[in-house]
Amino acid sequence: MISSVTRTPLNSVVVQRRSKSKSYRQSYRSCLGAASRLGFTPALTGRRLNTSRRATKSHDITRKVNPEQLALLMKTELQLSYVTPLYQFRHTQLKSYARQLSAFIVAEKQQGLAVEVEGPQSSFRVSFSVVQGMVETDDDAETVFIQIHSKPLFARKDEPQRSVWIGWLTCINGNPDYLRSLPKDFICLPLFGSNGAEHLTSLVKSWFQQTFDCCFGPLEISDTSLQWLVALWTNCHMESNIQHLKMIWTLPVVPPLQVTYTVNPQDAWELWSSVRKDQQEENNRGEEVKDENIVDIEEVMRFTQGLKSHFYRHFRLNLSAGSLNQVSTALGSAKCSGRIKITNSKYMITTLTLLTECALLKMPT
Amino acid sequence: MDASLKSLLQRLIRRIPSQTLKITLDKWGRLTTAQQQSMDFTQPKRVLTEKLLGICEENEWTVKHITELEMIFIMDNPNQGMWNAFQLVDPEYDSQSVELMQFKEQFKCHLSELVKHVSVKMKKHTDEAVWIRIAWGDGFSRPNHLKPTYIVHQLQTPYVFVTSLTSKQKPLLSQALILATRYQAIKDANLNGRKLTAIRDLLMRQYQQVFPTKYASPLTEKNQTVSNTCIEREQAETAANRHQMACEAFGDGMLPQLQSAVYKLETKFKDHANKTMTEREEPFRCVVKFASTNLLESLRHCASSGIASTPVTPLLSSIPLKGKNYFVITDNGPGPSSRMHQPQS
Repeated sequence: MISSVTRTPLNSVVVQRRSKSKSYRQSYRSCLGAASRLGFTPALTGRRLNTSRRATKSHDITRKVNPEQLALLMKTELQLSYVTPLYQFRHTQLKSYARQLSAFIVAEKQQGLAVEVEGPQSSFRVSFSVVQGMVETDDDAETVFIQIHSKPLFARKDEPQRSVWIGWLTCINGNPDYLRSLPKDFICLPLFGSNGAEHLTSLVKSWFQQTFDCCFGPLEISDTSLQWLVALWTNCHMESNIQHLKMIWTLPVVPPLQVTYTVNPQDAWELWSSVRKDQQEENNRGEEVKDENIVDIEEVMRFTQGLKSHFYRHFRLNLSAGSLNQVSTALGSAKCSGRIKITNSKYMITTLTLLTECALLKMPT
Repeated sequence: MDASLKSLLQRLIRRIPSQTLKITLDKWGRLTTAQQQSMDFTQPKRVLTEKLLGICEENEWTVKHITELEMIFIMDNPNQGMWNAFQLVDPEYDSQSVELMQFKEQFKCHLSELVKHVSVKMKKHTDEAVWIRIAWGDGFSRPNHLKPTYIVHQLQTPYVFVTSLTSKQKPLLSQALILATRYQAIKDANLNGRKLTAIRDLLMRQYQQVFPTKYASPLTEKNQTVSNTCIEREQAETAANRHQMACEAFGDGMLPQLQSAVYKLETKFKDHANKTMTEREEPFRCVVKFASTNLLESLRHCASSGIASTPVTPLLSSIPLKGKNYFVITDNGPGPSSRMHQPQS
């Protein structure tokens, strides 16, 4: 049963106010390790993605989340941005936000443009909803889903409104130290994804910025994150056929050369498990006890290196000289420009955890 | 006017850009001077189409005339659609003496025997190539002029280039070709591309090739005046070597514009860092596709800049060397390509 209670997470940590005149947020950086508490300023390179993460077995997320809502989040390609924490955002005020945003869009559209003789050509209906059941910890705020419906320009009177824009804000397995350090009135939903006309996206962002005093920024998916996705998705092959592992590189020559490297899923899986086995053997020699579910960055790098060296053996072409632009499997696709598509709900949580981390890291502090 | 004729003309005009249309119509020469002058090519296409439909009725053009116009357009603008290269193999003793008239007669004759209703048009281009347009019909229907196949055959060479051919039509065409050219079989040359001129230049090596030589550059003067003796480019010699090897593999100057190359790899995984995979018996199956607006130039630049190690691997240099852009690589060497044989009589 899906619980019908929505709540904004409470902060259990009292934050020391350094300045009495304004509230401040502790920087994400300073939550990353003990070093910060000793007063050292961590070097910028100290801010980086987790070097190991949990490759959780698939959740049957369809049992926790409404499948209709889930369908809305999947199968479309979304453009990602990061968002700084929202001031005084309340999950209980969603209806009011929907009305405000709708009015904002209509007002902005009528501003400064040619006068519309027949009155407002298309009325916008905005809906905000909570996608309950996605988050796993108490520190994560519930995912918020936004949809804009509108009538097309020359629609007949009785034609229903269509969905023209969707977006969501989410935080999946965000760093608990950071989340707990936020002052009481801030809600952290750092990952924003949207699909629809660019002008609507910028209107939505403007409204959020002026209502919740936050700021948005583009979220690129780095080479390391793409490699993580390659490994994490391949890791799922036994449970859910990934059908192919496709990677696209661009080499900086004139004219630019695009290399699409598609690996048979079974062979990719065998390479991946051989890399994991070797790594575990090494760890056992060092007598570390390791949880099988944890994946280390070394394993990821070794896997990518294996793929690249097979390529090099044939073409004597160094893929490292280029940049990895896109990875895709049957579970989804990700581009370095920050576009992502999730096609299988089972591994959504793993993917979103990685992306939440990227968003938190990219946020300015 | 016949509806199918109208639709054929409309579709053709839609395909041709306005400026090219003027040139093509002039070349075709079936408009009277008055009609030519009445066409204003700055008007929108819709208007031009209406005008031409009117002229078509006036002059009583038939399907034959329209297909003639289409052929002129395609022959002058061959770099569209997807062209596939084929190669004739095992020539009979008299294949070299096949000349144009004989080829034309034989081809038309054999194809009509194989396909009940077929419309064939053949034309010799200025550069020794024979262009063939085929509109296919069958026992029950007339030739379909909306989906013609175009074929280009360079006489005296074993190369044939084809566009818009379905798998059903392929054996019929192959049969007619091998009978008319006096070869025993035809096979897929595993080379495709959008630009006919590029794949033809590649196969017939009509681009600037570079051969290995002891003295790559002209011998330098002994008493050379150097602008600044203190400046020496450390990498100059290695860079020059790389450039030389890159050109030896791919050619110099302007290279034929190929768009892509596909390699299907079915070789074993060998990496000294990974024992488990190296011991594996099964091949590591993957497909690699290289794509660029000018593939050969990109690859040449990879080699000369060091991104690809020199000497260039035979997998890549096979593209210009063998004139192919589709390869199946197994541990025993490249795989066999498909062949169509003449039945043993």
